[in-house]
Amino acid sequence: MTGRVLRVALAGNPNVGKTSLFNVLTGSRHQVGNYSGVTVERREGDLARRFADPQSPAMRLWDLPGIYSLSPISEDEAVALEALVGGSAAERPDVVLLVIDASNLARNLYLALQVLELGLPLVVALNMVDVARRAGLPVHPETLRAELGVPVISTVARTGEGAAEVIAAVREVAARSEPVEPVLVEPGPEDEALREALSVAEREGRSPGHARHLVVARAAESDDPAAGIREAAEQLVTARYRRVDEILKAVDHHSRIRDAAPAMGTSQRIDAVLTHRVWGLIAFVSVMAFIFVSIFSWAEPIMGLIENAFVWLSSSVADALGPGLLTALITDGVIAGVGNVVVFVPQIALLFLFLGLLEDSGYLARAAFLLDRLMARLGLHGRAFIPLLSGYACAIPAILGTRTISGTKDRIVTILMIPFMSCSARLPIYTLVIGALFVSQEPVFSTGIDQGLVLLAMYLLSTVSALAMGFIYKRTILKSPTPPLVLELPPYRLPRVRDTLLVVFDRVKDFLKSAGTVILACTVVLWALLSFPAERTGAGKDGPVQVGESYGGRVAQTFEPVLEPFGQDWRVGVGIIGSFAAREVLVSTLGLVYGMEADDDDPAELREALREQKNPETGKPQHTALSGLALMVFFVYACMCMSTLAVVRRETGGWKWPVFMFVSMTGIAYVMALFVYQGGRALGFG
Amino acid sequence: MPGDTTTLDELAIGRRAEVVSVGGPGRIAMRLFEMGFVPGTGVELVKAAPLGDPLELRIRGYHLSLRRAEAAHVRVREQVRQ
Repeated sequence: MTGRVLRVALAGNPNVGKTSLFNVLTGSRHQVGNYSGVTVERREGDLARRFADPQSPAMRLWDLPGIYSLSPISEDEAVALEALVGGSAAERPDVVLLVIDASNLARNLYLALQVLELGLPLVVALNMVDVARRAGLPVHPETLRAELGVPVISTVARTGEGAAEVIAAVREVAARSEPVEPVLVEPGPEDEALREALSVAEREGRSPGHARHLVVARAAESDDPAAGIREAAEQLVTARYRRVDEILKAVDHHSRIRDAAPAMGTSQRIDAVLTHRVWGLIAFVSVMAFIFVSIFSWAEPIMGLIENAFVWLSSSVADALGPGLLTALITDGVIAGVGNVVVFVPQIALLFLFLGLLEDSGYLARAAFLLDRLMARLGLHGRAFIPLLSGYACAIPAILGTRTISGTKDRIVTILMIPFMSCSARLPIYTLVIGALFVSQEPVFSTGIDQGLVLLAMYLLSTVSALAMGFIYKRTILKSPTPPLVLELPPYRLPRVRDTLLVVFDRVKDFLKSAGTVILACTVVLWALLSFPAERTGAGKDGPVQVGESYGGRVAQTFEPVLEPFGQDWRVGVGIIGSFAAREVLVSTLGLVYGMEADDDDPAELREALREQKNPETGKPQHTALSGLALMVFFVYACMCMSTLAVVRRETGGWKWPVFMFVSMTGIAYVMALFVYQGGRALGFG
Repeated sequence: MPGDTTTLDELAIGRRAEVVSVGGPGRIAMRLFEMGFVPGTGVELVKAAPLGDPLELRIRGYHLSLRRAEAAHVRVREQVRQ
């Protein structure tokens, strides 16, 4: 008995506390992956030790996507249905744990009936009984148990109440030997169309439950409201809701929900402000502004600490090992590479912390409600707004965040838009260039305000460009109808910090694993490119390295004629090559380029070096405000980020989209930078 | 018969109605059915989003947001004011 592992699938509507219960039951012992072949996230984990029982088999739980229905219409629903009835018997769950919201039975029981139709061993967790009681709704697990014919356990996932009882019930159901009979909702006497459609599906060898799910999925493919299959599906859904209403009468919910949403009382008062036509928009802009100011201002000191720690580590290692090629590899390659990765953790963690808290509180649904009008103009769902917004921090988590978008084409459109959003890795480039080259003797306002406005302009340019490209893609290469909104506005609740921190932890781990390794490898390769051949550059010896003599330097010098038209020289070219590892590497590479020559990599010195450098032919400054602007515009558009491309490849399942992304973005970047530089010169600037 | 039929997007804010039928493309109709828009169900238009679209509706004891274009597929009968 103890050799076997019980497989338990958690199913339920979105916003019912399913993930909270999953976290309670598994502790933090879970892994995040993907369902095979699709982009829907799959979380699974072993039962937490405090629930373990040496007398019972071990238990492995997995969290199905949150769904309102099992009819396989959307990707999420298809994945959930496949997980429950598809595959071999060994892959199917031994027990389904269905989480339903005690304060919202009228909608939640629909999914419960669908699961019962499949005839799987089932335990129902009647969650949020505290919310239901506060809303004045009766909580009758025993009546529900009698009506549904399966164990019903009251739980409060946020406090862990009822979790041990849920596990006991799961074990008890799993130990039963008799097979579970499906509980079917039968067609009414006048439901001729439904009877006909069901017999067609059952003749194809489907189980009666599966046949019912297929009727609705097939009706979804028919756009003729008078079609027989549409009539059949309407009769089926109506019959299920008739049954739901009977159960509601039995538990005394029916009269109470007829005219009100009892659990929404407080939420409606909050929404009087948060979705108000004036205050709602002001509140939204304030929330977003707060988040982004916090990310930049709170992350900054931590990032500074991380940078200093790696500088210290690097110099300690250098002192201990003495000069040499190996030392240079470890300090300038490996340690610098790890530093390049870790330095982004604070921003990513903060972004996902805020987004997680907003989602848990119910505000993210309101954000989609407020902005759907704008997103619908592009042809996207209001939900696509959040991954796009996340693109301002880093494209990697943002692209991972598109997993919430159903519809492959819409998802790819959003993925293609994200790298246009100015991620935080571009910020060091903007600040270096602006700090070095936008220091006019006669500022328009003051130097600080002028510099701020230039920075703002870069962010506006990137945002407008992302939206414009999305508009174009949605109407050309990824043409598809605008997805329906159908968005639940759940009651507001206090977010559960523990659940959010778990998500943050998962995301950071994912970043370190998927992007971190690439950035590290590229830093090492880059170091090698700029250090070899060692006998020519003098790498590993005391004294400055001759970057111009390195492989990287020679490549950049060869390509200088391509860079000159937008005001750059080979040194910037080396930086652009290096920035492919990650955009912020441009700064460290430029430091390397100038630092190796000047043997000094102080950032203030780098700004000075950029400003002072003269064009060898004309004797004028090599870098001007105009050439700096062209360089920044180049980086607004260029997809100079190997990690982004690696993640896009993983998420879209092939090289087609990352290659398209790189080629198209680099092309646009070059043309736009050329346009800015040559246009500016024609107008007499620079 | 109390009230004429209209479509859900034509309902005035704050008014209640009863679902008569759901039309439109299959995907949208099935989604609406399964979210509870079956004939005979009461639905109230709570508010419109600040930009005029989408709409916030109350149905079967919960709140749901639909675009006007989607709500237009739902034919309803307005309930007479008491």
